[in-house]
Amino acid sequence: MHGSQATEGRRWRVGLGVALLVVALFVVAAAFGSTGRATSPNATRLQSAGGYGEVYKADPKLLAKTLFNAKLLPPKGMSRNVALAAFGRASKKVDFNLALKCWKNDGCNTGTGGKLTVAYVEPFGENVYRHISKMEFILQALTYKSIGKIVYRSAHSDLNRALADFRAMIAQHVDAIVTYPDFADAELPVFREAKRAGIPVATYAWGYVSGPGTNYTTVVGENVCKLGRAYAKVMNTYVKSGDIAFLGGFPGNPLSAGWQKCEKPALNKNINVVASEPTNWDASKVQQVVAGILAAHPKIKGWSYEYGLGMAQGAFQAYKAAGKPFNAVLTLRTDDVGMGCKTRALHNPKLRVFYYTAGNSQIRVALTALMMRLKGAKIPPKIVFPIQLQNEAKRTECVKGYPQEASATSLVPLKLLHRMYP
Amino acid sequence: MLAEVLVGARFLPVWIATAALLLVAAIIAPAALQSTSWAFVLPYMTVLAIAALGQMLVVMHAGIDLSTPGVMFFGGYLIVGVGHHSNGRLAIAILACLGVGVLVGLVNGILVGVLRLNPLIVTLAVGQIVFAKGLRYANGLAEAEVPSRLASFAQKRPLDISAVFWTGAAITVAVALLLRYTAAGRRFQAVGANPRAAWMAGIHVRTHVVFAYTAAGTLYALAAVLLASVRVSVDPAFGASYLLAPIAAVVIAGASLAGGLASATSTWVAAFALTLLNQVLLIKGLSAGLQFVVFGAAIIVGMLISGDRIASLLGRLLRPRATPTRIASGVNQDTG
Repeated sequence: MHGSQATEGRRWRVGLGVALLVVALFVVAAAFGSTGRATSPNATRLQSAGGYGEVYKADPKLLAKTLFNAKLLPPKGMSRNVALAAFGRASKKVDFNLALKCWKNDGCNTGTGGKLTVAYVEPFGENVYRHISKMEFILQALTYKSIGKIVYRSAHSDLNRALADFRAMIAQHVDAIVTYPDFADAELPVFREAKRAGIPVATYAWGYVSGPGTNYTTVVGENVCKLGRAYAKVMNTYVKSGDIAFLGGFPGNPLSAGWQKCEKPALNKNINVVASEPTNWDASKVQQVVAGILAAHPKIKGWSYEYGLGMAQGAFQAYKAAGKPFNAVLTLRTDDVGMGCKTRALHNPKLRVFYYTAGNSQIRVALTALMMRLKGAKIPPKIVFPIQLQNEAKRTECVKGYPQEASATSLVPLKLLHRMYP
Repeated sequence: MLAEVLVGARFLPVWIATAALLLVAAIIAPAALQSTSWAFVLPYMTVLAIAALGQMLVVMHAGIDLSTPGVMFFGGYLIVGVGHHSNGRLAIAILACLGVGVLVGLVNGILVGVLRLNPLIVTLAVGQIVFAKGLRYANGLAEAEVPSRLASFAQKRPLDISAVFWTGAAITVAVALLLRYTAAGRRFQAVGANPRAAWMAGIHVRTHVVFAYTAAGTLYALAAVLLASVRVSVDPAFGASYLLAPIAAVVIAGASLAGGLASATSTWVAAFALTLLNQVLLIKGLSAGLQFVVFGAAIIVGMLISGDRIASLLGRLLRPRATPTRIASGVNQDTG
């Protein structure tokens, strides 16, 4: 009995010892893990919880709202950290009154006494998409105490004015510029001037200008070529064979050309692209183009395009006027609420809509990337988000309470959105 | 008799060219003449025709009006903003839109007719100001759809043709009749044809110029109402394509930019031809660049065969050989 008690006591002590040893090993491993990577300063910041004034952590619910899925972040490295830092800041409380004032007055002093001035300059800022992007930029800027002034400019689609606005920002020595380059490489000279003046520049929603990392700091968004391949995958699955058409924005714009170039070769051999027409992202032009293509190819089965709401406003009318049911597969880039609601209202299971995100919140990533750059971070030339098209039938764009032209993946709180558009 | 033939000849080419276009379309792009295509062409040609009628009134007085897109843009957003999704507010929304048209036209008319400022520059500047006001107004609007009653109006199809088309046709006929068969219309034409002679005849030239711009502004606003009904919604590009197209329609229809007579029905036909040509080019699947080239070339050809050229050619062919005495006296009885 005694013997068995002694054996039991020994077993207990051995078990405790093993448990302590395992815990100790974990502690040592964790310590080694951190010190081991500390040999490279950048690597430390990549893998630890933050760096350059940022915390690389974001609310999964918020990520799911803006990216459809919390896992759809840039896959690894600094790109991922910048995105996490930016979306992490989106959860911070800011003064909505000040944000609204700043939004209405195209800029403001933040009242923090911060020394930095940040600018959002764009050639075209007159639609709701851009209005919301402007608010996202302001909300993100207000999370930084170091930012004392926010500046905004829109050139109303005038290239000369857009270049002049950009140059004015350089002359005023703003500290960072975020833009959506509607005129693409025509804006390259001012990007280079900013670079020479030491001002970091970032674009969002894949507003691509040649030489990211060389001519300017970074471009944020999805890879449009992969977007084209994702469109092709949907067409191959749901259209299988027959006629489809491509619609684009202004003739020759790099966004449309980017996905069209990659969708076409990825399509099944039985799918014919019967037309590829520019629409200037103008709903009445969409209506004209769709009416024309419908007349020439009445059995058309699919449409690929970027501008969801333009499709809703133009194509729906064209089909209605032609007296045809809208039986088609649509692949679209933006997730406009109006597109989803109009689709739902048709109650037509033969209309299948697939969409990506408008990407308003990517402007937050662009600004945070520049703020980190100002603190010495090495920002990757491209911060690329993975693409996952959403099926309207399974995840609707028609989110209650949102304006028709807005995107429900935006991170502007609904309460504030209602104050923007009373 | 010869004078009538010559005046008619100014406006004849656009009718012949349109008939030729229909023939060509039937051969090379028959889909352009099918009901699917008409469903687009007829409402949109009507919008262009109404805007072109406004431009025609101004061109008749040797003027030009570049405020069209500004008026249409602001007018379109007023329909959305004032209408506020309510059919009960539709009437007041349309009145607001027309009010902007009248006001802008009046301002243009005073600046050009009374203060004698250059119409090209003045109307462009006024159009920019109106556009900027429209932008400011639009910034506060999140919704873009017009009241549903206006949208359903465009969907109505009496005799299987869009109600917008019939409305435009009625306006065109009314303008044509007013110009041709009323004393006021005759005076309006007289001022355009020869302002000095009209002034000597006791007609208030300046008042007519102011009226021309005001009526033009009203017609642009009316075009905005029709466009909003066809499109159902407005966006920042609303009205943008109506800067030069109405001028092209007026000139192709046979009017001279130097002022003088113009035909409302020919202007309507020119608007139809331009819209149909666009549709044919689209259906033929021409590249965007080539579409612009062909469309531009068609306008140039239209200008070459319309207006004074054909009239003067016919005049030379039809005019009886003048005696040396008559030439010396400088009397030109045929065109008087």
